[in-house]
Amino acid sequence: MSVYQTHTTDVLVIGAGLAGERTAIEAATHGLDVIILSLVPPRRSHSTAAQGGMQASLGNCAMGYGDNPDIHFEDTVKGSDWGCDQDVARLFANTAPIAVRQMAYWGVPWNRVVAGRKKLPDGREIEDLKEYEGLITARDFGGTAKWRTCYTSDGTGHTLQYTMDSIVIKMGITVHDRMEAIALIHDGERCYGAVARCLRTGQLHAYLARSTVIATGGYGRLYGVSTNAVINEGSGMFLALETGVVPLGNMEAVQFHPTGMVPVGILITEGARGDGGYLLDKNLHRFMPDYEPKKKELASRDVVSRRMIQHIRKGYGVESKWGPHLWLDIRHLGRKHIYTNLREIANICKNFAGIDPAEDLIPVRPTQHYSMGGVRTNIDGHAYGLKGLFAVGEAACWDLHGFNRLGGNSLAETIVAGMVVGKKVAEYTLGATLDCPLQLVNEHVRRQESRINDLISGRLGKENVYEIRREMENTLMEYVGIFRNGPDLQKAVDKLQELYRRSLKLGLRSSGKYASPELASALRLPGMIRLALCIAYGALNRTESRGSHAREDYPYRDDVNWLKRTLAYWPPGAELPVLKYEPVKITELPPGDRGYGESSAANAAKSGNHTQENKK
Amino acid sequence: MAERLLTFSIFRYNPNTPEIKPYMQEYKLEEMPGMTLFVALNKIREEQDPSLMFDFVCRAAICGSCAMLVNGKPRLACKTLTKDLPSRITLLPLPVFKLIGDLSVDTGTWFRHMSLKTEAWIHTTREFDPRAREERMDNETALKIYEAERCIECGCCIAGCATANIREDFLGAAGINRVARFMLDPRDERSPQEYFEVVGTEEGAFGCVGLMACEDNCPMGLPLQMQLAYVRRKMAAAGLAARPQTRAC
Amino acid sequence: MNTQEKLLTRNPRADMLVDLVELASGILLVGFLWTHMLFVAAILLGVTTFDRLSAFLDEYYLSYIGIPFILLVALVHIVVAGRRIPNKWKEQRIILRHSKMLGHTDTWIWVFQTITGMAILVLAGIHVWMVLTGWPIRAVTSAGRIQSFLWFYIILLLAGEYHAGFGLYRQFVKWGWINRHTIGAVLKTITVIIVALGAVTLWAFMRLGGAQ
Repeated sequence: MSVYQTHTTDVLVIGAGLAGERTAIEAATHGLDVIILSLVPPRRSHSTAAQGGMQASLGNCAMGYGDNPDIHFEDTVKGSDWGCDQDVARLFANTAPIAVRQMAYWGVPWNRVVAGRKKLPDGREIEDLKEYEGLITARDFGGTAKWRTCYTSDGTGHTLQYTMDSIVIKMGITVHDRMEAIALIHDGERCYGAVARCLRTGQLHAYLARSTVIATGGYGRLYGVSTNAVINEGSGMFLALETGVVPLGNMEAVQFHPTGMVPVGILITEGARGDGGYLLDKNLHRFMPDYEPKKKELASRDVVSRRMIQHIRKGYGVESKWGPHLWLDIRHLGRKHIYTNLREIANICKNFAGIDPAEDLIPVRPTQHYSMGGVRTNIDGHAYGLKGLFAVGEAACWDLHGFNRLGGNSLAETIVAGMVVGKKVAEYTLGATLDCPLQLVNEHVRRQESRINDLISGRLGKENVYEIRREMENTLMEYVGIFRNGPDLQKAVDKLQELYRRSLKLGLRSSGKYASPELASALRLPGMIRLALCIAYGALNRTESRGSHAREDYPYRDDVNWLKRTLAYWPPGAELPVLKYEPVKITELPPGDRGYGESSAANAAKSGNHTQENKK
Repeated sequence: MAERLLTFSIFRYNPNTPEIKPYMQEYKLEEMPGMTLFVALNKIREEQDPSLMFDFVCRAAICGSCAMLVNGKPRLACKTLTKDLPSRITLLPLPVFKLIGDLSVDTGTWFRHMSLKTEAWIHTTREFDPRAREERMDNETALKIYEAERCIECGCCIAGCATANIREDFLGAAGINRVARFMLDPRDERSPQEYFEVVGTEEGAFGCVGLMACEDNCPMGLPLQMQLAYVRRKMAAAGLAARPQTRAC
Repeated sequence: MNTQEKLLTRNPRADMLVDLVELASGILLVGFLWTHMLFVAAILLGVTTFDRLSAFLDEYYLSYIGIPFILLVALVHIVVAGRRIPNKWKEQRIILRHSKMLGHTDTWIWVFQTITGMAILVLAGIHVWMVLTGWPIRAVTSAGRIQSFLWFYIILLLAGEYHAGFGLYRQFVKWGWINRHTIGAVLKTITVIIVALGAVTLWAFMRLGGAQ
């Protein structure tokens, strides 16, 4: 007999990061009752770790004059390597300035324009005009034509999250923290909420809602070394995948951030390069201009990461016991700048590497950072396949980022998508009823209970959750990294399938009672390996290179055959995802040259040929 | 350098099983170069005791989840390197906060309550106009607000505060600093008298006895003495300037 | 949260006023203590100077106004500052355990602040009673007292100056007038000087007593 607590609400939001909270606020503004579930207190969400900034084309700072949503749109599409949906990118670029201003209205202390002449680290002189003084300023980020990234010193994500949460608290929105959703309640057509496990007591809860929103962030922790927080295990994605009817989009699109600190993988924000930092090799040579004469260190992240690995492969990496790395040099920005605008970097360097970036070089290497893929939704955030299920933020494949996300577009996405999707959620919810058959709820809870009992009793096997997990991490690290190729990806798929089978036979070593952390990990692991398989299998099948997906055996973008999005489904009982494809929505900007990156360089060599033909 | 063998003495208790009294459990672990308590505790959990409870989220000293008493002092475990500690390391959960189990405490609920009590959001009568340009603000002011906003609500200041340890209703440095953040903000329209209602008592500014364990243990290096003093002076001025309405019927 | 009794009886300014009274009474007492020390140190300039100073204070009724006033201030200070001292056994245990574990200088200083405060309450009480019963103050009587109760006066001197020095430091910290590390150093120096002066004075009285 199942013992569980039931909660009923209009809107259930899973995840209390920026996207989840913004969606909840929007829904609550429409008079709906909202419950947010979160693994951790909202202010501990991974959103707080975003240091750099949020893109919006305000055009207030000297290097941003003339900026507008059209240019932001264009940068985003180019950054995505034409993998995004352009109607989404357009909506996003148009809404971003409003989102930034609303956050200012709610209390974010954005850095402001200070009028006067300034000299940039590269010697250029600029002048911020008096008429813009006091408006929200912006810094430079990779892959953008203008300085467009609004920021609060080194803690943009932090101030955004704290401000957002202050509104959640003000509005009295219910947050159940330390509550983990472990299954969606659905009948194959409609989603009715979720089964959750309390991380304080281990008790099961059923949340019944007219609409359910997945806002659980990315899956960075599938990789052994990632800039992500340890809670970023892709849980919302595998919950959706598990339904069998909701697909994940473009899971093979994994972003590697150029500057993860070696060896811990903690992020050094793009602001470091945006503010004028250089990448150096073992000879202390600034090598990026050799590869990317135009954008240098500030090409898009996929390009910079690949150039770094390329350079390391040529033998220019700095040897260390953790493998080769490169240097990030921000010394020339000056101690004052480093300890005010980039203080978080200084702290991270001091705490985790014992170095002072005003004096020393920072060891960096491209590190897993962001999941462009996720729960595939339409432009309203409504998930494919299940009515009443929405997804937003990094957990979703809305699809704003295509095959590469621009720095500063993720914070912007969380808030813009929260506004847009929150409104659509409200519209849907107001027209929906809550008529969930209790039998269905019972069934779903019972299924989770029996999973838990099996893990505790070890009835199905005694596999060790931590061992299998480590093997999964290593497999992705080794075979599904920045550069990919057929044989390696096949190896990854084979290995992950074996791990997946073993993960169905986990047995706990602890009692698994109450808030057992081992049980929590064991409940997640099979889902995580399914995600890993979606990534590896999707990558294996995509025989082209696009954005962050770089195939050594298919080095060119292939718009003839691959201008489409991967949709990965996981039918019940399957051991591999079923891949389907859908066309990418192109409304304004036909595929062309990004203006940076390998193909652009090749085009330049071909002198003026601006469309990349595929000769496969 | 020969690697040391570290001995961890860790507080164990699960509130779900009150019949088992709290006890200290020892674990041995070989030290590795660059090892933080994040690495060490995860190794212990994965290799020795999968039931051990502790909290980490960002593991980069940004999120404030992992504060605990490291050899008696409130510290963020993620950024504490074992090489800076003796080979015997005692770990206790933070005091004051509700214990969830072992090293895990419920800072989230405490801080949410504090936010509610201090009404830690911008109070304004203006409406947001999506078509209008943002209000201007002096960059210096923005930086000042951010300086106070940098608090990550880890709870080290609360755990280190003698007053907070014995007075449940005391807002502590984190709470008073939070109020300072809104006082500094020109967008917040609350009058000094309204702030006085929030922090003009011993639960707030006048409860602090000035031991400064908050400032000395703040992992973010916030200038808490000056923030606390700022609020105290402001509140004294507000209290002296006008007699707040007595609420007698 | 507002309850009925809170709504009816609350004076929202009470806590602030009490805090200001603690500050004012503390500063007055520090001022008195340091002045007192200087007056007593007049012995270093000779018995005649000391006695003349005492007689002077008597003559213009300064003693008769000053002493009751200071006693009143001390009484107020005991009430308002004393409320900071944890009065429940459980709280005291928590504070002691907390201080031991934290190993934090300022916290320990405060623990001793409460201890010296209570010590002063007793010792200064005795001292005042002895002085008043042996009125007027003359070098000879003072020397007699010090000779008989040297340890008493050493402890009172140390406790008093410690309490005054760190009490003032604490107020500077709380009101943030000056950076705490700077003011800490300044006040420590002053306290050391005063204690040294006190020690020399005690020594002078001892010699005086011995010479009698």
